[in-house]
Amino acid sequence: MKITGVKATRPAGADQKSCIVELLTDAGAKGIAIAAAGARAQIKRLVKERLIGADPRGVTGIWQLMSDPRSAPRGKAYRNAIAALDLALWDLKAKANGEPLWKTLGGARPRANAYASHRNPAASDAELTTWFQRMAREHGLRGGKLRAGADANGDARRLGLMRAALAEATPDPVLMIDAGHSWPVKQAIDRVRAVEQQFDLTWIEGVSRDGDSRGLRQLSDSIYGAVCAGTGLVTIGEFLPHFERRSADVIALDIGAVGITAALQIADAAYGLELPVTLAAAPGNIHVHLAGAMPYFMSAEIVDPLPATGLFTSDVRIADGWAVAGDRPGNGLVLS
Amino acid sequence: MKVTGYRVELYTMKMERLVGDANLPSGVEMLPGSIVSLETDGGLTGISLGYGGAAIEGLFGIIEGADPREVLGLWIRMNDFLHKAGNEGAACAAMSAIDMALWDLKAKIAGEPLWKTLGAREGRVKAYASGLDYCLSDEDLFNFYRRMAEQGIDGGKLKVGLDLKADLRRLGIMRDALSVASPQPLLMIDSNEYWSPKQAVRYIRQLEQHFELQCVEEPARRWDYHGLRRVSEQVEAKVSTGENLHSLRDVYPLIVNRAADVINVWTGQSGVTGLRQIAHMAHAYGLEVSMMNAQANYMAQVAAALPNHNMMEVVDPGREHCLRWDHRIEDGYIVLSDAPGFGIEIDEPKLRALQVNPPTGRGKFPFPRREGAGRYIVPPAPGEVPWRSG
Repeated sequence: MKITGVKATRPAGADQKSCIVELLTDAGAKGIAIAAAGARAQIKRLVKERLIGADPRGVTGIWQLMSDPRSAPRGKAYRNAIAALDLALWDLKAKANGEPLWKTLGGARPRANAYASHRNPAASDAELTTWFQRMAREHGLRGGKLRAGADANGDARRLGLMRAALAEATPDPVLMIDAGHSWPVKQAIDRVRAVEQQFDLTWIEGVSRDGDSRGLRQLSDSIYGAVCAGTGLVTIGEFLPHFERRSADVIALDIGAVGITAALQIADAAYGLELPVTLAAAPGNIHVHLAGAMPYFMSAEIVDPLPATGLFTSDVRIADGWAVAGDRPGNGLVLS
Repeated sequence: MKVTGYRVELYTMKMERLVGDANLPSGVEMLPGSIVSLETDGGLTGISLGYGGAAIEGLFGIIEGADPREVLGLWIRMNDFLHKAGNEGAACAAMSAIDMALWDLKAKIAGEPLWKTLGAREGRVKAYASGLDYCLSDEDLFNFYRRMAEQGIDGGKLKVGLDLKADLRRLGIMRDALSVASPQPLLMIDSNEYWSPKQAVRYIRQLEQHFELQCVEEPARRWDYHGLRRVSEQVEAKVSTGENLHSLRDVYPLIVNRAADVINVWTGQSGVTGLRQIAHMAHAYGLEVSMMNAQANYMAQVAAALPNHNMMEVVDPGREHCLRWDHRIEDGYIVLSDAPGFGIEIDEPKLRALQVNPPTGRGKFPFPRREGAGRYIVPPAPGEVPWRSG
């Protein structure tokens, strides 16, 4: 199987933030990935310069070639483009074997521990309650994460609503908060300590910057819950300060930023320190495929349990608190 | 496809020559062999080579009936099963062997060489020559490295540690022999933990007054992260170690304490899966890995796909009596074929012959530790080695 070209198209209509990547091959199979719209030009360039004629089954080597620090430009669009192509290549590798991606990656079951994540800090109390109730009732999700808001009283109230809503699935919901990178460390310490008077928090993420290992270590030393960081980091080397300083207690990986190849490498490295790994939500919830291949996998973020964008369908299902990948060959994304 | 059964074949080999290091400079020529085969309902057989045969029975139940393509998840299951007793000793060897055979099957099911299953772009790995040569005469030493250099190999690793002047002379012989491959051959040494850290620093310093060394292997004990780090800080060469550790769990103190610059990896470190974990963690810390020698160089399949692999050890004492394979060494690289899996087949009649009529010969691998190790040097006694002192 050889790569012959790529289509990277902006969908018409609502979704202006993403583009659809179709990596074309001489065998007819297409590697599908949903990428950030800004990466479109780089994706086309990379395919033209590096990927034409390559066998997608050599995805790890291709990833190395694309991300070689001696030749790879820095910058977000380029990194996103590498990640998107890595996703599409893994899709092809699995399709070449006629098997679902989770099996190609070596997982022994398609199932991942999952939690519900509401990312809108401006959501009303009623919206939060309704949404988390649905996550608990219809999908059995036993954990929830919400964006912390502007005032401390609001945090406690909203956490209370989330806990009450999730109580439909479990008497002891897992609670997490995301500060959306709006808090410096000292403020995070004050806010989390206040919240921890009433709530047992599994983790807090989105404090300071993801690379601020000194600050995050200070935070971790000052609160009971774990500090989760990593979604703002891209290369394996950027995680090293957290490993050295033990500043992130949970490593979060966003496959849309790091790709699958590097995500698995970083997960192995984190396992050396027994740091749990959580996966940030990806379009179509295809991140769930990686869970079984990670030696210390913790949880998968679910932002939308039934992605219905009109652009694609996915065969990942969220039921009884688990995200379960399907049996379609590849990552299970089918374009509409 | 499901795993339905297993077979363990133990046998004994007589190598074509002696191999020796500082612990047993007179060398041995006998080597135990173990082949573990996993059978499937799809007609494919996965094999692994190494030392893992003895304790398969206790672990086989974990993977019986499983789909070999799920090897990473099965590794987690085996590792979790060994939680209380620990992934150590015979259990670790068995887990390593099973994991290897599962990867062989995963690649065979996809109908491709393992390097491709692991995602490598090409089946090509830079090689360096390793003579296992403390038991070789100066002439045989030269001939070995020249033979390797004629295949384009431009690096060599000499066994050292017992006789400074002889080691200096022999380093020169190795360099001269390799010089047909490169005007500046890569020179490495290996003392197999015969020294204390301070002995290592003194000894290596004196070698480095005459030679630029790329790497010194096992200059101190495998777990001594303080000592290894001290050696690394006090000599010019990189420090490598790890071949006698068996999991990421064992290796991680070396990595986080920056005790070694190169981590030696091989499939005995909890299988292909376990050694990849080690390589990936080393990669996060900016460290290189180097693959250990293997029968028919089978571990090159894995090395080809590691992001931070520098070069693989190649030896040639003759350990492939009952194996068939078709990769080759070309221009200093191990070039793997497109044969499925590890690309190794068992020559059953030859295996049977070795089992029915076990060969006999001098000594038996592995070596015990030599007297004085870590404290004082016991140089070779007269007649112990075929080279002159000084």
